[in-house]
Amino acid sequence: MNVSLTILEIAVILLGLTILLVDLWLPTQYRRLLGYTAAAGVVAILIGSFWMPVGEAEFAFGRMYIFDPLALYFKRFFLLAAAIVLVLTVDFSERLPSGISEYYALSLFALSGMMFAASANDFILVFVALELITITFYILTSFQRNRLTSLEAGIKYLILGALATGFTVYGIALIFGTANATSFSVIASKTADLAGNPLFLLGTLLVLVGVGFKIAAFPFQMWAPDVYQGAPAPTAAFLAVGSKAAGMVLLLRILFGVIPQITINWTALLMAVSGLTILYGNLCAIPQRSLKRLLGYSSIAHAGYMLLGIIAVNQAGSTAVLFYLVGYLFTVLAAFGVICVVMRITDSDDLSAFAGLHSRSPLLAAALGFSMVSLAGIPPLAGFFGKFLLLRALLEQGTASHYWLALVALIGVAMSLYYYLGIVRTVYWTKAQSNDPIITVAGPIRCVLYGCIAAMLYLGIFPNMIVNAAVRASLAFQL
Amino acid sequence: MTSIGLGHYLVVSAALFCIGLFGVVTRRSLLVIYMSLELMLNAANLALVAMSRFNGNLDGQIMVFFTITVAAAEVSVGLAMIVALCRKRRSAHVEDLTTLKL
Repeated sequence: MNVSLTILEIAVILLGLTILLVDLWLPTQYRRLLGYTAAAGVVAILIGSFWMPVGEAEFAFGRMYIFDPLALYFKRFFLLAAAIVLVLTVDFSERLPSGISEYYALSLFALSGMMFAASANDFILVFVALELITITFYILTSFQRNRLTSLEAGIKYLILGALATGFTVYGIALIFGTANATSFSVIASKTADLAGNPLFLLGTLLVLVGVGFKIAAFPFQMWAPDVYQGAPAPTAAFLAVGSKAAGMVLLLRILFGVIPQITINWTALLMAVSGLTILYGNLCAIPQRSLKRLLGYSSIAHAGYMLLGIIAVNQAGSTAVLFYLVGYLFTVLAAFGVICVVMRITDSDDLSAFAGLHSRSPLLAAALGFSMVSLAGIPPLAGFFGKFLLLRALLEQGTASHYWLALVALIGVAMSLYYYLGIVRTVYWTKAQSNDPIITVAGPIRCVLYGCIAAMLYLGIFPNMIVNAAVRASLAFQL
Repeated sequence: MTSIGLGHYLVVSAALFCIGLFGVVTRRSLLVIYMSLELMLNAANLALVAMSRFNGNLDGQIMVFFTITVAAAEVSVGLAMIVALCRKRRSAHVEDLTTLKL
């Protein structure tokens, strides 16, 4: 047993516990600044991760826990996302009624769950990691318990999340019963025999329901718009990036690592899910007036795009998904950063609150504009290159149905142009109401927004570095 | 008289799971929905324990320990949220959850 492999998770959990303890002795007025401490700690762990040796896959806890380039790639991804989210949270913290340190600590615990999910090599660890993420997010979603919207979003997430958990556990029970094991390595070696066993297939499908819920794929997407709209902005940002990526890494590990043969048999099913997810997300986003709700629908559509890479069932597909997630991280966090700041002034995320944002704060307008253009997939930003990689991986398979699905994806992108560019128009070409004040942006958020804009441009123009890292990580799958 | 085998346990477990799912879909009170969700989890636990017993592999029982622990955590969080909603709305019915809509 090799506990040292889990050093990153241990560090994150210790950081969370330290925050909780320090809170006891800290005067109230300094408590919100604990968020900067937490963010700095997460960044330090992220930097420390570059000293971790990684080559061949290594295992800990009786092969339950795997440490390989793919796991490390996602761990760094989650650490980066959490650091940015924590900075946003400090800005948001004045609007939380109480318990700001708990908010930071819970974000860190959710982060540790995501990092465990990245290393899952056993269905038991899949379950525990998923629940660690989901249960902390129930609390984070309903944290503004003096607001009805936040509570309601939390309850909706709770009911649907618990339903997804029920399916997952039952699925794991069926898999355990048919394969007589919960370890990915053991099940992968038995898939040839299990591929014809209907109970095993049903069990796998039920587990995929739970994972599909996390990434908000059709038909398990109903929670996303409500929760994004009602949850505090930093929570929604962390949900959009962290929780979705945790679902994606589990999906990749299960579909590509454990049951690649069955995945190929299920291509038609996955294609239907992906196509419907893209169309549903984009169609429903069109009439939205609340920006957070719109981003909720857009996150559904983006889950559909990422499924394109999974349908490809090849190294290129998994590389594309990994790259796309990094681009999506910077894009979505920039958008939620802007929402966080604007909502502090206006207390509304209605599109009218963003009218003429350009004249009130050029930086916020630029960040929101870049992020919408990147989400829409217009070159030369990160979103374009990510979509290009996904479609190229899909078309490598080259059957007629793959071409049809690519066409559906392109139709979805065309529809999304309408509402993304509509936001850009609101920000730049709509007149602000005369009584709207100039918005000042705090220094750390300013740095985050500049960083996100720079990263979107960098990933779109010089994607090589991240693509190479994604290619190395994808070698985990023998496809 | 035939002895009770794995099949019997699995049928009971599937029935419990379906009853739970039916409750979640049809009931209107949040507390009853929550009870039905717990029923679904326990159906899975029953299946795990039975398969563990008949396969002679203890891994399933370990999984059940994890499920029970996690379910307890989930219930405590969930009930706290339902109580908070009751205080705010004076009701715990799903029809009242209509603030967030298009």
